[in-house]
Amino acid sequence: MDARILLVEDDPSIREVTAIGLRAAGFEVDTAADGAAGLERWRQAQPDLVLLDVMLPRLDGLEVCREIRRASTVPIVMLTARGDTIDVVVGLEAGADDYVTKPFEMVELVARIRAALRRRRSTAEGGAGAALELGPLAIDTAGRTVRRGDEDIALTRTEFDLLVELAQRPGQVLTRDQLLDRVWGYDYLGDSRLVDVAIGRVRAKVERDPANPELLVTVRGSGYKAVR
Amino acid sequence: MRGIRSRLALSLVALVAVTVAAIGVGTYAFVDARLRASLLDEADRQAQFNLSVLVPERLPDGVTREGLDSAGLAAAFRLRGDVETIVDFHDGGTPWVSDGALLGAIGSFPAELRPVVDAGHLGYSWQDVIGQPSLVVAGHLPGAVPGTAVPVFSFVFPATSIQEALEQLRLGLIAAGLVAVALALAAARVVARGILRPVDSGSAAAARIARGDLSARVPAGGADEFARFAAEFNRMADSLASTVERLQASEAQNRRFVSDVSHELRTPLTALVAEASVIEAGLDGLAPDARRAAELLVADVRRLRILVEDLMELSRFDARAEQADLRPTDLGEATRSIVSARLPGAAVHGPPAQVVVAADVRRLDRIIGNLLDNAGEHAPGTPVEVRVGDDGANAIVTVGDRGPGVPEDVLEHLFERFYKADASRHGGSSGLGLAIAAEHAALLGGSLSARNRDGGGLEVTLRLPRVVSESLLAGDVLDTARDDAGGGSDAGSAPTEQARPNP
Repeated sequence: MDARILLVEDDPSIREVTAIGLRAAGFEVDTAADGAAGLERWRQAQPDLVLLDVMLPRLDGLEVCREIRRASTVPIVMLTARGDTIDVVVGLEAGADDYVTKPFEMVELVARIRAALRRRRSTAEGGAGAALELGPLAIDTAGRTVRRGDEDIALTRTEFDLLVELAQRPGQVLTRDQLLDRVWGYDYLGDSRLVDVAIGRVRAKVERDPANPELLVTVRGSGYKAVR
Repeated sequence: MRGIRSRLALSLVALVAVTVAAIGVGTYAFVDARLRASLLDEADRQAQFNLSVLVPERLPDGVTREGLDSAGLAAAFRLRGDVETIVDFHDGGTPWVSDGALLGAIGSFPAELRPVVDAGHLGYSWQDVIGQPSLVVAGHLPGAVPGTAVPVFSFVFPATSIQEALEQLRLGLIAAGLVAVALALAAARVVARGILRPVDSGSAAAARIARGDLSARVPAGGADEFARFAAEFNRMADSLASTVERLQASEAQNRRFVSDVSHELRTPLTALVAEASVIEAGLDGLAPDARRAAELLVADVRRLRILVEDLMELSRFDARAEQADLRPTDLGEATRSIVSARLPGAAVHGPPAQVVVAADVRRLDRIIGNLLDNAGEHAPGTPVEVRVGDDGANAIVTVGDRGPGVPEDVLEHLFERFYKADASRHGGSSGLGLAIAAEHAALLGGSLSARNRDGGGLEVTLRLPRVVSESLLAGDVLDTARDDAGGGSDAGSAPTEQARPNP
């Protein structure tokens, strides 16, 4: 596995040892010490995944995240302080796919990065992709595209996988735990806010009125389901 | 009620009642005496007149029964007032009476009358005569020789009018007394209210302070005894408020310090943890001494991480930054999955029937996880039993081990921070695990308690308020906050505290 990772982290020790650990795990690692430099490196290197500290000098991590999302659907994993719950939600709403809390052990970090990369790979290399329909949406799982009429809708990989998970089983309720397991690869007690925020982001892109969703519906006390 | 109010009312009413009674009795006695005196005067005058003028005039030849009948004396006596007459001749014969009904009455005249009459005076007696309150005046004709059979005249004057007047007076006095007592009661109320108003405001202020509102003060004014009390009270409240403020400030400072320290530690700790995990992966390439040191380093970094994270977790509780994300949760299922992730070897029993609580699974995980860690640390190698059930009001999870347990006097301290039941033991834990578990339990509206098990070992019990299953499972009660959290909603709105179920 030689995926290229851009690590944006201001603390030199953390940056260096994290880079060592990721290289040892088989990744190619590029680093940047602040937000502006990170954005610059991302433009030049076009990495397969961005690992982004939230608290960064010059340009903060959330801003970097929003900036990248404007142009790209590259997987973004945020490094956040544990318990800073607002940070987590703001980071996810800014477009991050997942987050890892500090302090972290390399094993945890590598596992989260692999899960984020696997999402892309599994569907990209799935070959026999199928065409799904959900309301006015035409979903091509092989080409990873979503169209509404003639209009292309750009979804991140996480958003796309989430939409496909639900669209494949119209009418069937998937719990947050099931979605965390299938889309994010958490088999035990993932953060259900990942699901809720991602659902919100998908709705904002595919629903006519995101405040009154018709395609991805909340099932109280259980989870979500797709309505064809 | 033995309040000031009732005591005041009682005293005033008693005072008024005694006064009214005294005045009433006095008045009654005075009027009684006056009425009797005036009747007595009148009767005396009439008897004098009858004996010295009328009888000698009508019966110049001596008093005889026939003479009395024929002279019409009875009618003549009556002319001067309502009076009946009895003449006793003391000759063994029947007395002469103006009304036949009076015949039997002679026997009821007191014996003391005789000597007075024999001495030539008029004697009198207040008594009932044939059922009527009357005044009897007795005497004989002037000039009669004592010791001989002299006819004695007894005039019976009715005293009914006195009786009636006194009866009316009594009624009037009783009525006036009742009115006075009622007025006294009303006055007592008014006075009591006046006296007690400042006391009420004082106790209201004290109650507010007791509830934690240190800004409560007593309205101070005037120069009476209460004004002094109010001033002292307010001074006390001022000093209390400033002390509490000082304490709160220093406590907040302490908490901020703990929170700041933990935050400052986070960056180097993050580096340490990442470094240690890289070293751990490369242990095999190290020389034996370095390898042992590296192993210790990895273990110590892990311990440090737990300590700092636990401290940060507690400081968030202290800053009240923690909010529960309550959802209907199947406690049995949640417990089973937590235990199987944390301590797969532990046995989970129950519950006999589904137990649903409003809980936050991540917090349940912290609570039960910490209890399992505690059991694993203090009772290593012994079987851990987890039991789920309910005692009616509460849902219950118990975690029991077969370790040494703790001394009874230590049980209540078990959930204090850094409390170590066994000071010599240094496990991998921070000494904060049970304190954190208790904080989480409190946030879920529940509690933790500990006891020693029969047969040895410690058992910690988590109690959570039970919720009626149907409404919860329908999802209508609790699971609302996260619905439609997307759609570009405000960032801070997602993790909101939801309604606590009514226990």
